[in-house]
Amino acid sequence: MSDAQIPETPLFDRKGSIDGYRINKMAMALGDPANREAFKADEEAFLDRYKLTPEQKDAVMSRDWNRMVAMGGNLFFILKIAAVDPTPITAIGAAQAGLDHADFLKQRLGKE
Amino acid sequence: MAKIIGGVGTSHVPSIGAALDKGISDNPDWKPFFDGYIPGKEWMAEKKPDIAVVIFNDHGNTFFLDRVPTFAVGVADHYDPVDEGYGRRSIPSFEGATDLSWHFVDKLVENHFDPLVCREIEVDHGLQVPMELFFGRPENWPVKVLPIWVNTIQYPIPTPQRCWEMGKVLREAIESFPGDERVVIMGTGGLSHQLQGSRAGFINREADEDWLNNIANNYEKFRNMSREDYVEQFGSEGAELIMWLVMRAAMDDKVDLKMKHYHAPASMTGAGMVVLENL
Ligand SMILES: [Fe+2]
Repeated sequence: MSDAQIPETPLFDRKGSIDGYRINKMAMALGDPANREAFKADEEAFLDRYKLTPEQKDAVMSRDWNRMVAMGGNLFFILKIAAVDPTPITAIGAAQAGLDHADFLKQRLGKE
Repeated sequence: MAKIIGGVGTSHVPSIGAALDKGISDNPDWKPFFDGYIPGKEWMAEKKPDIAVVIFNDHGNTFFLDRVPTFAVGVADHYDPVDEGYGRRSIPSFEGATDLSWHFVDKLVENHFDPLVCREIEVDHGLQVPMELFFGRPENWPVKVLPIWVNTIQYPIPTPQRCWEMGKVLREAIESFPGDERVVIMGTGGLSHQLQGSRAGFINREADEDWLNNIANNYEKFRNMSREDYVEQFGSEGAELIMWLVMRAAMDDKVDLKMKHYHAPASMTGAGMVVLENL
């Protein structure tokens, strides 16, 4: 079970794990308060510490959740970037669904 | 020998803990969810277990991708809550049921399981939230815990059938443990949700209701489903439900479904619980 066989449903398999390793490692580090301070103080320098590629840096710094996931960012790790902002998880869901936040809440979660 | 006093299946959504921290569990969004757990809490208070076995997955908080155990068992004397990015939550540390943990590890290996054995480790919302839902916010937890981690993050995740087999070993371990401890088994995770991909926000209320109605006494179909079936029906993260099978397999073939509760959505997740007792 490695390639995604279910429509619109990427599984975090070896490809994601390999591609996203640096993004995920950087995000994991945000579980430490000192690293959160460093990230807030100079985000780009923090990303450089973890040797993110220019494309990965751009996705993180522009908070392009969709691209982060496409590049192997696993949601459970990148949620720690969201925690610093803070960005609600439903906004990350909406970005991936390609819906604006209000439409996402209504159409997917049945909220008015 | 120790005694299994019941099995619980429950969601462990992190926003449940956040709602408790913010004191918003009584607002209209959350009240119906928390109200449904009141009978569960009363049941637990009446049953007075000494040990809670909690089967859950870490969510990129304790284990990183540098080492991913398919199954891990805690043998620590205590487990602190881990900082998930918002600061460490102010809930008490969990005391470990060390002797039963080691005994379980022995039984696992005798039965050809190869767990990672963890002597010093923190726990995330996967364990914290079920404890809060069933024991409230005491100054100290009234039970010791035996944590079992299942990898549901990086593929390959274990098969539902393997989770079932682990539940059988868990039962053997509890029933052969020299002591008179009362043990509750908590299988956690789910229900349907998907956080990644363009199907994000997927919730399958029908499948969730079916699960809650049938996990007690009509579980064969869930036991036979593939991992792909779980992902398709319950969403990529809803596949966490395989962890309830560890609990279910540790109970009798026929059980009494004491209570169930469902609420959707809790954050982005179908959420709920069942409480089972052996007849
Ligand atoms: Fe989970």
